[in-house]
Amino acid sequence: MMSVAPAADRHRPSELLATLKRLGFGVAVAVPDSWLGEILMRIEQEPTMRLVRATHEEEALAIACGARLGGVRTAMLIQNVGLLSMGAGMVCLAQRYQFPLLMLASYRGTPEDPVFYHIPKARATEPVLTGLGLAHVRADPDRPIGLQVEAAATYAEEASSPFVLLLSREDIQW
Amino acid sequence: MVSNTRPSRADYYRVLADALPEHALVVTALGNASYLWAATHHTPENFYIEDAMGLALPLALGLAVAQPTRHVVVVEGDGAVLMHLGALITVGAVAPRNLTVLLIHNGVHAASGGQVLTNPALDLAQLARSAGIGRAENVATPAAFDQALRAAFAADGPQVLVLSTEPDLDVVRPPITLDPVLTKHRFMIAIGAPRYVPTMFGGGRLKGD
Repeated sequence: MMSVAPAADRHRPSELLATLKRLGFGVAVAVPDSWLGEILMRIEQEPTMRLVRATHEEEALAIACGARLGGVRTAMLIQNVGLLSMGAGMVCLAQRYQFPLLMLASYRGTPEDPVFYHIPKARATEPVLTGLGLAHVRADPDRPIGLQVEAAATYAEEASSPFVLLLSREDIQW
Repeated sequence: MVSNTRPSRADYYRVLADALPEHALVVTALGNASYLWAATHHTPENFYIEDAMGLALPLALGLAVAQPTRHVVVVEGDGAVLMHLGALITVGAVAPRNLTVLLIHNGVHAASGGQVLTNPALDLAQLARSAGIGRAENVATPAAFDQALRAAFAADGPQVLVLSTEPDLDVVRPPITLDPVLTKHRFMIAIGAPRYVPTMFGGGRLKGD
């Protein structure tokens, strides 16, 4: 019988990246966050993926919509503060035109985050997502991250809408 | 007689319609950029944006990345590009060879009644060059546009053409519905984009027909 390592024992960022590749994500659009630095460099080295580094999250959202319009499965990797600053593009473009996008957001400012100035972002994130009508879920640390990424990506496609998966440091920081 | 008036958006659009390469994809910004283009040259390969000001350029960049074998043309306004100047930097960095950016330079926010821009005299071609886009020039006549556009399509991009244009404040009535989801589906079918096969049919993936 094949043994499967418990979720807590696996290297979750590796599993997350492997899932994106397995599901055929061809484009990733990103804006920097310290937790994302290494995984972005690894995506850049993937022959089947194209990383676009944007200057702002609302711009990144529009780039992702364009890539998906062109028929390529597309993920965004951003910090949760970007979800606060992209509201207009979210409602006027991504939601209005019903673009299925997987949005992977580092969830900064939770009690587990040692950087104190991120706290206001976490306090606002989920209420803002709810206010935007943007489907989201916080990743469960006790379940394999790959399955959660796949469920989020599937939701985005089958609901024809963006979906946000909020990630802890263990999920995304290499 | 010499005229001091700038060309109209319609003057430039007639040139664009004549010069477009086969299978080119056109993204148009909000307002008359979309309405007039729909009236001038409607095809399924047009993606009309309503609202979402300033996001036509980054959307076209993503499209150019996803469709590298097709020419992608985007018509963006000067006011719109000022709202998301970072997108010019990203275009310069990504440098898609198949992207041509047309900036309607009329000095006003035409879609919101003609309010003057923060800096209507800005040299947008110079700004584009500073952003890393090697080929960027100001154009002031339809004849010059025709020449520059055909040169742009024959060369590797990205390129930016800044079109000095008389403001058009009267809203053009588009001849077709611009329903956003219909626009998206029509476009994706026209380019043969892979469709998503739902999980209950054993899919969960994008698949071409």
